Amino acid sequence: MRMIKELEARSETDSDLLFQHIRLAGQPTIFIAFRSLIDLPATLNDLYQRAAWVADQPERGSLGEEITEPEEEALLALLLGGQALLWHENGNRFASLTPIAKSLSRSIESPTTENVLRGSISAFVEDIDTNIGLIRKHEPSGSLHTRDFRLGSSGQKRVSFLYKEGVIDAKLKESITQRLVQNAERDAGDLQQLASLLGFPRWTLVTKFNTSELPQEAETALNEGKAVLLLERMPFAIILPSLMWDMFAVQNDRNFPAIFMMLIRFLRMLAVLTNIIIPGLYVALVSVNPDVLRIEMALTIAKSRVDVPYPSLVETLLLLFILELTLEASIRLPKSIGPTVTMVGGIILGQAVVSAKLVSNLLIIILAATSISSSVVVGFQNSFSIRLFKYLLLVLSAMYGVIGLVAGLVVICAYLASVTSFGIPYLELYKPGRKSNG
Amino acid sequence: MVKNAQVISMYLLIHSGLIFFLYPADIIESTEVGHWIPILTGFAIHAAVMFVYLKGLRLADGQSVLDLFSSAGRTWSALLLAPVFVYLTMVLVITARAYSEIVNLLFLENTPLWATMALLLGVSAYVASLGIESIMRSGLLLFGLSLPFAVFVLATSFQNVDWHYLLPSIDRASASFSFLFGVPFLRSLFAFGGGFLFLGFIQPSLDYSHRRLLMSSLILLPLFLISVYVPLLTFGQNTSATFLFPFLMATDTVDVDYLIFERTTLFFMLSMFVFVLVFMAIVTWQTVRIATHFVNLPFKPAVMIWTCATFIACTKIEDWQQVERLLGWNTYFRLYAMFVIPAATLAIGIRYARKGDNTNEARAQ
Repeated sequence: MRMIKELEARSETDSDLLFQHIRLAGQPTIFIAFRSLIDLPATLNDLYQRAAWVADQPERGSLGEEITEPEEEALLALLLGGQALLWHENGNRFASLTPIAKSLSRSIESPTTENVLRGSISAFVEDIDTNIGLIRKHEPSGSLHTRDFRLGSSGQKRVSFLYKEGVIDAKLKESITQRLVQNAERDAGDLQQLASLLGFPRWTLVTKFNTSELPQEAETALNEGKAVLLLERMPFAIILPSLMWDMFAVQNDRNFPAIFMMLIRFLRMLAVLTNIIIPGLYVALVSVNPDVLRIEMALTIAKSRVDVPYPSLVETLLLLFILELTLEASIRLPKSIGPTVTMVGGIILGQAVVSAKLVSNLLIIILAATSISSSVVVGFQNSFSIRLFKYLLLVLSAMYGVIGLVAGLVVICAYLASVTSFGIPYLELYKPGRKSNG
Repeated sequence: MVKNAQVISMYLLIHSGLIFFLYPADIIESTEVGHWIPILTGFAIHAAVMFVYLKGLRLADGQSVLDLFSSAGRTWSALLLAPVFVYLTMVLVITARAYSEIVNLLFLENTPLWATMALLLGVSAYVASLGIESIMRSGLLLFGLSLPFAVFVLATSFQNVDWHYLLPSIDRASASFSFLFGVPFLRSLFAFGGGFLFLGFIQPSLDYSHRRLLMSSLILLPLFLISVYVPLLTFGQNTSATFLFPFLMATDTVDVDYLIFERTTLFFMLSMFVFVLVFMAIVTWQTVRIATHFVNLPFKPAVMIWTCATFIACTKIEDWQQVERLLGWNTYFRLYAMFVIPAATLAIGIRYARKGDNTNEARAQ
């Protein structure tokens, strides 16, 4: 009796906590649940039918699961987990039962951050079980295993670890499981927390998680022997380890003829190089090494910069800054206002800034190439890295010209080469069952 | 872990970084006719020495040279490795100084020399501090990135070639190997000697197939021939003998219409610059590896300290004559590193293998 009073007191601060007095098979009973989490009419309807069915023949057992030693914390956890409680006035007994849940997830839709040209277009949603189901549909194999972990101080955040037995690297599986078990009390509300939970360094310039909204990508990753993590309320799969090759290849490429696939991937590599190199190259050629250009070319560039009042490094940084602003703004803005920014940005970056003699014509072309190529890589989380790397080259180019550019490339390559996750190098080409070489 | 591609590409990369600068001038100076004889002789020496070195390493069951030498006693290994340490240090100083000079000559007229040296040493120290596995991986990546440019330059470098300069192909002087003990030829061994020493240091972190590595050294042969013969065929012996960097001069004459760049030398220089940076990184790594083997020091600070020391040494060199003099002194250490170290590796390797057999037999009994 005391327990039910305590719960009832709670409903003052939790307005969606529902106490419904009902009679089940003639017995006075209180039905307790969070109204926001369950479908009330359907649940009650179902409950009456089951109660009548049980009442007919008592040997069919009781309604729900008996709770022998009720405690407020445990009861509340059950309720928050979406369960309903029954309190039988006769005998002061609690029982928990699974109600008909309200559907609080969107239906399966096409992906929002990854476009698919050819291939399955259903994407992950916020509901973790739906996501696991999607992967199982794609990979109906007995060797696909899912292990659930509860993370966080309240132990409520569910993480599913999916892998394919026999294909996954045993060491990888072992270290992921170990970390998830060891750090179970730590929160994993976002990917940074998850990264620190998995023991990744905090200051890294390369994303350690490859994420994808597409079940198809998750399936490919599983078959390659990678691990897939699904986080509750995250509409994407987290693929470990993330490798450089993921920047250039998606499974959907394989739905095109092989030669196109190779050309497309080659194009992506060129795009990354273009993005990293071109702004630095411009600065190097304009301010330090104009002599390496053909004389006609050098003159054209010099002519286009004749009225520009400051050094090319400042000019480039200025415009790159505006470009970064445009990129960031177009993420934030509602779709209806987005085109305005594009238009204003287009006018500023396109014509006005040149007519005002603030930057040279050529720089606009360079900038267009940079901004377009930064989005060619697969997975926008990868585009952050290359967006950042180009500034290193920019600074080194301003100091040392083309030599600085190349030295910067060496530094970037060395950095990429030094990144490993769970002992697997970032640069490795991951192939199941084959000794890697590269 | 077997990493053939990494080791082979590192091997090729290091040597191509060394071949194209000083080597052609030395070979052209060493004899007047029949340059292929000194090239082939040098290459044969290189292959033989490498064979001995690899043989010794194989007997040592994938130990590094450091561990292998230590098995013969600490004093012995210190005595054996001290000249290597000096040699590598000198190589580092010479390379940093010489390449800064070349870079400043070609690209950065207004930049002070110390700034260029700081860049070279800074980058190579960073790469070296990441450890051998990272060095090898970045080597492979950079090799892949710069290979197209290097191949392009090598292919176009034949533009102004006059094949008549191939003749005469031999004369009494070259056939009698009289160049063998001349200073230019010994100096040309700079391109062969020492570059392969890293093979003994990377085990046991990385394993590789010794046979494939030996096979891949054949790829170097055409590069050696091209580096000497392109300037020879472009300018002739008498003219090219006057150049400090004959191959660079030869590529400078190449004119490709569809490039926006004035000279293809740019691409060549840039890819060579990459190779040299990687070479310096691995030399730094080797030097510090030897040092930390004998003195108890954490690796990364040791790299820092060592790079600073090298930088100071580099700034003390005033002109090109001093670089050449240093290169001259370095010859003795180079000969030591080139002949004594592989021989010692083989000798200690054989001893080690025999001892291993004995213990195995003892265990079997």
